Amino acid sequence: MLNTRDLEERWLKYKIKSYIPHATITVSLVIIVVTISIFFTSSEEKSIDLREETKTIKDVKQEGETVIKVAKVTPAIEQNTQVIKILPEKVSSTPVETKKQPSLNNSDDISLKLTPSLDFMKKMQHSSLPYYQNEIPAETKVNSNAPIYSSQIVEEVQELDIEENTETVTTEEEKPERISIQRRDASDDIRHIIKRFKKNNNPALSLFIAKKYYELGEYHKAYNYALITNEIDRDIDASWIIFAKSLVKLNQKEMAIKTLKQYMETSHSSSAKILLDEIISGKFK
Amino acid sequence: MSSSIYINSKNVFLDTVNSKDYVQLDRVSTIYQALKDSIKKPLKMILLYGKPGTGKSMFLTKLYNDLSSSQIVHIYQTPILDESEFYKTLAQDIFSTKYSGELNFTQFMKIVENSDIGSIPVVLLDEAQLYSDALMEKIRLISDTRTIKFVITLHKTEEEDLIAKEHFQTRIWESIELENASNAELKIYIQKKLMKANCFDSANMFTSKSVNKIFKLTNGNYRDTNKLLYALFDIYSAYDANHQLSSIGTTHVSNKLIEMSAIHTGLINA
Repeated sequence: MLNTRDLEERWLKYKIKSYIPHATITVSLVIIVVTISIFFTSSEEKSIDLREETKTIKDVKQEGETVIKVAKVTPAIEQNTQVIKILPEKVSSTPVETKKQPSLNNSDDISLKLTPSLDFMKKMQHSSLPYYQNEIPAETKVNSNAPIYSSQIVEEVQELDIEENTETVTTEEEKPERISIQRRDASDDIRHIIKRFKKNNNPALSLFIAKKYYELGEYHKAYNYALITNEIDRDIDASWIIFAKSLVKLNQKEMAIKTLKQYMETSHSSSAKILLDEIISGKFK
Repeated sequence: MSSSIYINSKNVFLDTVNSKDYVQLDRVSTIYQALKDSIKKPLKMILLYGKPGTGKSMFLTKLYNDLSSSQIVHIYQTPILDESEFYKTLAQDIFSTKYSGELNFTQFMKIVENSDIGSIPVVLLDEAQLYSDALMEKIRLISDTRTIKFVITLHKTEEEDLIAKEHFQTRIWESIELENASNAELKIYIQKKLMKANCFDSANMFTSKSVNKIFKLTNGNYRDTNKLLYALFDIYSAYDANHQLSSIGTTHVSNKLIEMSAIHTGLINA
């Protein structure tokens, strides 16, 4: 009788041998296909990135509103938001008229009314660092003795200010026509940003929230968020300004002056000095 | 299926030349009929050639069986290589002349000329490529006398083609080439062969797919197919004896077993 076991072993060897070329071809094809697809995907991503970058730069040049969209130019947000005045009764989805602004640093002389859409904040998420882990209470009591950290001197603050001012002015001047902007509900936007801030603790977001609350007249919240921003990054000039302004609005004028003076000792911020002068002279109330 | 079926099926494919095992295939039947018709014609010599395993010997045997009842026919399946022995054998078989000593060509020709057997006897020589050139030339001279008709089979190789050209081209009036079976013919061949031996279950196991597989391995060569199927049923018998058939199934021939048989018979070099 035949030795079927031996024959089966030989057959198995033969089958393995016969499958080797097929397997080799299949594996090499898969590798080639995967490599090609990876190559094409990456090149497509690159081109998309490039297109987006070009688009953003173009937008910055063309539209005053999109200056805010560039995430890294955080002080620009400050400048724009300073000149934006939101009229509570106009918070509905009606177009807002904008006018040319003669002075950008003086928040009292407001002629341009911009109410930006806050969608751009989504982009900030990726660039932020997890500074802040604990959840921030929506409302905390105003603590007039709250510590203000101002030991570090930041020389860049001044330079940045100048740059941002120039940039904003240029943008504003390039756009003399009337801008009709469709805006969203402000409180919804703030809630959205708070949610986002709790996730990534980006000081730019908390600062923005503080500014928005300040503009909406919710000075307690503005104070809190300015404080939070200050705790995350004490070198942000705008957070000190909002902090001081909120204190004044909360009838803590003395505290505001004290804080600003303390801050100016280390930073020599010009905007802080202007604000301090205005508070002392009673111009800012 | 009982093991005896596999054993019976195996025996069907034993490599023997038996005219009873001859399988009627359309193309083969046509060729055979042409050969039979050629015998009736006043031809000197008929050449039957083809690759090994294409059924030349089977053809010759079948022809012998069919003609032996109606006319004088002699078949020599094993070549008689010695010249004197060849003449002596022919003299004894055809002309009933016993010759004790050496018999040369001249003496044999005398016997042929003096013979009065009436009809022309037919001599069937298998494996003619084994005869020497000198003897082949003598065979040609004998056939020229029209006293003996020769049907010879040759393996078709380059060398044998040369022999055919040099020695027979002008003298042969009929040459028939046998070829390997086609895919469809192979299926009929296998099934007919099995059904002849009442192995119907085994015959039903051969689907077109399994016959394709066999065809790829044997290239339609009858001898190789016989060898392969003999090994196949041998393996089936062994599996049956070891109660391993359930793992293979008996509804159709397993490709695995076909490949195993091919490895066993050397058709696959594993």
